[in-house]
Amino acid sequence: MDDGLLLRRVIAGDEGSFTLLYRRRHPAIYRFALHMSGNVAVAEDVTQEVFMTLIRDVKKFDPARGTLSSFLFGIARNHLRRRWEQDRHSVALPEDADELETLLAVCAGAGKGSPSNGNGKAHAPFLVRRDEFTSLETVARVRQAIATLPENYREAVVLCELEEMSYEEAASALDCPVGTVRSRLHRARALLAEKLHDEQPLRRASAVGE
Amino acid sequence: MKDEAKLMDCTQFKEIYHELDRPGTSGYRFRERALSHAEGCPRCGALLTEGEALDFALRNLAERSAGWEASPRIEANLLRELQQVKLAGSRKRIRKQVAILGAAAAVLLALGIGVHQRVTSGARTASPEAANVAGSAAAGTAKDEVAGSSATPSESASAASASANQADENEYAEEFVPVPYADDPAALEGGAIVRVTLPRSALASFGLPITESEGTDRVSADLIVSQDGTPQAIRLVSQENANSDF
Repeated sequence: MDDGLLLRRVIAGDEGSFTLLYRRRHPAIYRFALHMSGNVAVAEDVTQEVFMTLIRDVKKFDPARGTLSSFLFGIARNHLRRRWEQDRHSVALPEDADELETLLAVCAGAGKGSPSNGNGKAHAPFLVRRDEFTSLETVARVRQAIATLPENYREAVVLCELEEMSYEEAASALDCPVGTVRSRLHRARALLAEKLHDEQPLRRASAVGE
Repeated sequence: MKDEAKLMDCTQFKEIYHELDRPGTSGYRFRERALSHAEGCPRCGALLTEGEALDFALRNLAERSAGWEASPRIEANLLRELQQVKLAGSRKRIRKQVAILGAAAAVLLALGIGVHQRVTSGARTASPEAANVAGSAAAGTAKDEVAGSSATPSESASAASASANQADENEYAEEFVPVPYADDPAALEGGAIVRVTLPRSALASFGLPITESEGTDRVSADLIVSQDGTPQAIRLVSQENANSDF
């Protein structure tokens, strides 16, 4: 059942269709909000606000202007911006090793599906195997590097690289030309490579110091 | 291969190397040429390696975050909101329908009051004229164009004694009004009702007021005529009823 049909049923007040649509579309919105904010509570709030907006103003969606997915990402983006204007609690991932390890454990738990989400795939959050640490550390470093990118670049990386959207879809969600998305992504990747490249020797140096 | 590599320079390579695996892009289209160029160019080769490492890291992050979901609390909140919106929508519809019905009722009520006021004010203006009729002592006869048929006037005789305030709007009277020189209505046994058309000016002789009319100068009236042929009472007939069979 495609999004259009589900949406028509939602307009008619069908709760089952809304649940189906929500379960299909919310993970990407939640991930986007989490990658953009670095804060689980904010990501949940934004996800809720996005779908509240869909419930209240479902007729604002115009299929001629883009996909439902792009529409929802656009709403999420607006909510995130509004929230940043309200409070400047920006992304602040920990530099400290202990904090980092805690975060990695939480990440691992969330990545596999936390016990609270009820999908049965949950790992206990703090049971991180030592041999996974290296890759988890890399993941956390990449997350941190993404979080420190300027907002426009971060959006491009999250949508095009992590959510695997095409340039066209991302352009629709970000309400900008395809060429802009392409150039932002290009620049963002160069910045990311730079950040990750610079960070590596520092970590090695601190390990030697210990 | 080297010929192809020569077709791409470092500037071109830097433009597209980050999208070699992205279908629909120029990087994907010129992938082979870019790879050939990177083989022969150490700096671009290093860039490519760095880009591939970044791709790997990003893919890794994407895979790990693939299962992230908002807590079920959010879904429950949204379902509650959907129910409230539905409820509010149906309430709004009902309120709208009630408002429409209310407006229609108000319009009908206003119309009814308007008509009622018009009727009562018409009756009030007619009362003094009728009183004048009752008090008038003018005499006269109506001999013009007798057009009606005869009928037993016993019921009409009692109507003839009806008060003037029962007269119809303006100049038309529905009830018989005794002419000023009438005998006792009880003496009307055997009389007849005749329809006549007479000049408006002759109404005065029957004790009726002469009013200005937009219509013709002649009016239709029913007369109760006693056995000796003397008019005893009169009533004006409206135009709708003037042509009706008696």
